[in-house]
Amino acid sequence: MRRMLTVGAGLSTSLVLAGCATNAPQDTFQPKGPNAQMIDDLQKPVFAVAGIIGVIVTVAVLYAIFKFRDRGQPIPEQTHGKPALEITLTIIPALILTVVGVFTFRTVFDLAKTSDTEMIINVTGQQWWWEYDYPVQNEYGITQPIITSGQLVIPVGTKVMLRQTSRDVIHSYWIPALNGKRDAVPGRVHLNRIEADEPGIYAGQCTEFCGLSHANMRMEAIALSKADFAKWVAGQLKPYTPPAENTLAKEGETVFVNQCARCHQVNGMKRADGTAIIAAPDESVVSGAAPNLSHLMSRNTFAGAMFDLLNKSCRKDVWGADSESFGAKYLQGVSEDCLNQSDLRGWLRNAPEMKPMYVNPELLTSTGGKYRGMPYLGLTESDIEKLVAYLLTLK
Amino acid sequence: MFSTGSKYFFGITLFGALSFAVYMLLIDESAIGATALLGAVAATALLTTLVLSTRDGEAGEAGVAATEDTPTSSMWPLITAAGVVILLAGTITTTAVFLLGVVVLLASLFEWTVLGWSERASSDKAYNASLRKRLLHPIEFPVIAAVGLGVIIVAFSRITLAISKDAGAVAFIVIGLAVLGAGVLFSLRPNLKRGIVIGISTVGALGIVAAGIAGAGAGVRDELAEAKSEGHYTHQDCGAEKSKYFDKLPLEVVSSTASVIATVEIIDGKLTARAQGIPGEQQSITIPRSNPSSVMFVNKDQEEHRLVANLGTKVISGDVKEDVVLCTQMIAEGAEQVLILNIPKPAMAGKPYTLTVPGLAGQSIEVIVP
Repeated sequence: MRRMLTVGAGLSTSLVLAGCATNAPQDTFQPKGPNAQMIDDLQKPVFAVAGIIGVIVTVAVLYAIFKFRDRGQPIPEQTHGKPALEITLTIIPALILTVVGVFTFRTVFDLAKTSDTEMIINVTGQQWWWEYDYPVQNEYGITQPIITSGQLVIPVGTKVMLRQTSRDVIHSYWIPALNGKRDAVPGRVHLNRIEADEPGIYAGQCTEFCGLSHANMRMEAIALSKADFAKWVAGQLKPYTPPAENTLAKEGETVFVNQCARCHQVNGMKRADGTAIIAAPDESVVSGAAPNLSHLMSRNTFAGAMFDLLNKSCRKDVWGADSESFGAKYLQGVSEDCLNQSDLRGWLRNAPEMKPMYVNPELLTSTGGKYRGMPYLGLTESDIEKLVAYLLTLK
Repeated sequence: MFSTGSKYFFGITLFGALSFAVYMLLIDESAIGATALLGAVAATALLTTLVLSTRDGEAGEAGVAATEDTPTSSMWPLITAAGVVILLAGTITTTAVFLLGVVVLLASLFEWTVLGWSERASSDKAYNASLRKRLLHPIEFPVIAAVGLGVIIVAFSRITLAISKDAGAVAFIVIGLAVLGAGVLFSLRPNLKRGIVIGISTVGALGIVAAGIAGAGAGVRDELAEAKSEGHYTHQDCGAEKSKYFDKLPLEVVSSTASVIATVEIIDGKLTARAQGIPGEQQSITIPRSNPSSVMFVNKDQEEHRLVANLGTKVISGDVKEDVVLCTQMIAEGAEQVLILNIPKPAMAGKPYTLTVPGLAGQSIEVIVP
């Protein structure tokens, strides 16, 4: 008994102490923007009230269990109905719930506000990654649509409206530090407002079970100062620059065109005859989409933000940067020295081995031969070498 | 060792296990079907164990002699035979008839089995009958009520489809009032003769069913028949409008109108778009690749108009190309219709996708597919 109590006390203490962690990127109690702050302002008092009531009820129950435990005493007189007590015990919870309800509704309506939107980003979920497209918004220098994935880049202090939908099943978008979760449903557009107070990286995760790799469907919101955001936009609008002739990267471009461009779009890439190469993921993938890899190396993650494009030391450098220097470090993108060669090469070598996906050819009859993720491509080590060299040019 | 009840459940368990084996080996290896069958086997195995452990409620152990009387008359052999006939008829007609046969056969076999089991429970016929009722009434009454309600609903739907919209509304009100009146009468006069209550209920139910059969025989009203024959529910022809009727949900997808990505309107001869979540009027809308997106077209002009989506060209063969165009039907002032766009690729440079309205020269909404 004593040993059980000791173990129980140890586990309880560990759980309580775990709640004090400061380096928890998906902690709902560390808001970093006004929307998340609104939720925090609501949930903390509610948790406090619920906690106090919970403690009172638990103590009362334990007291009754201990005090009136069976010691062979006769059964006490049985009475039915104490109207005054019952009415009191009904009115008190009703009043508490009414007060909670008023504040909850106010918060819900505040979070649903759209009239003060300053920036629009379309967010589309599919198994198992998020796509972000920025419609033309000249006031932010977005003169052409920008399309990216894995990392959502926003300017700080800007009320951003995410217009969320899905291409296949229901997903749910949640970056705890910036707002609550909102489902992305096929055929529907759900609105989700986010805003970050300071530059930094804010982690999130799909929170609606969406299939085999649901747990690996992650996302990161990158908040940049307005000046840095303008630089990021300018970088995303830069035209495609083909690799120099007679380089490994140029050979990698050929491999990319033959193996990858069927699904992955790189804006501005052209064939030898000058015609644009338009990817057709709808012919191979159930969701009809694959990540657009234009400016891939301006992102820090790949494969649905499951893997880092930066190696550990460089990533630590970016994640650990203070808000003043964060933007500059993030905008450096991924250089050859900072590239996480191991995971990227592993991914190109055999993607399904690194991330569970429905890509076994024997199980594709139900989808008409279409994949639900990146398939095994059978690339040679030479092809991988060339591809890595080419991908490094996509900045 | 094996009592009557345990034999019954043991038989079902064995049958379920055999079905599971046949299903896995010969029909399908899908996890869903196998799990369902295995779950059924586990459930009946549990019941078998329970019945065995309680020795079938100790009916036999108590020494109550099982009846040696001949079985009472029953309708279930007849219904079982009908089920077999329907099932066989279904094998050469339609799947629905086949499934009906399966349901009738299984239900009648179940009823017959339980009846036989209850008749041999003891020598007391009244007790045996109560045993059967206790077991089957909780199943029979809801099923009969659901089937009866389904028959009434189907019959009533046949009536409303056969008569005009206005007459349908009147019929709905009249029949509803009649049902309400009968209910009020029964509740206010609880001592009403049983025969009268049964008579009124039977006449009312039979009346609706008879009218439903008549309605089914007469077929749907002319405008629905015409709409169906011309494929109004699916066609999106961009040529001359032939049809007199149209449906506001061209693809019969109710959810498509639940959330539109943009609403395109003609007001005072001007074409504008409003995208969900974006304040103000737009002259371009963004639609994600390969994602069916609903665009609602609202005509607020006095003339009839249709919305046309110009989605580039597609290669038919070799150098032969064809314009990809989708249209709503011509709709009158105040009407609205959804156009569902599923665009797998962005537009070629210099040839943007557009939404236009024939007759409104120089106006278009650009459709951007990133």
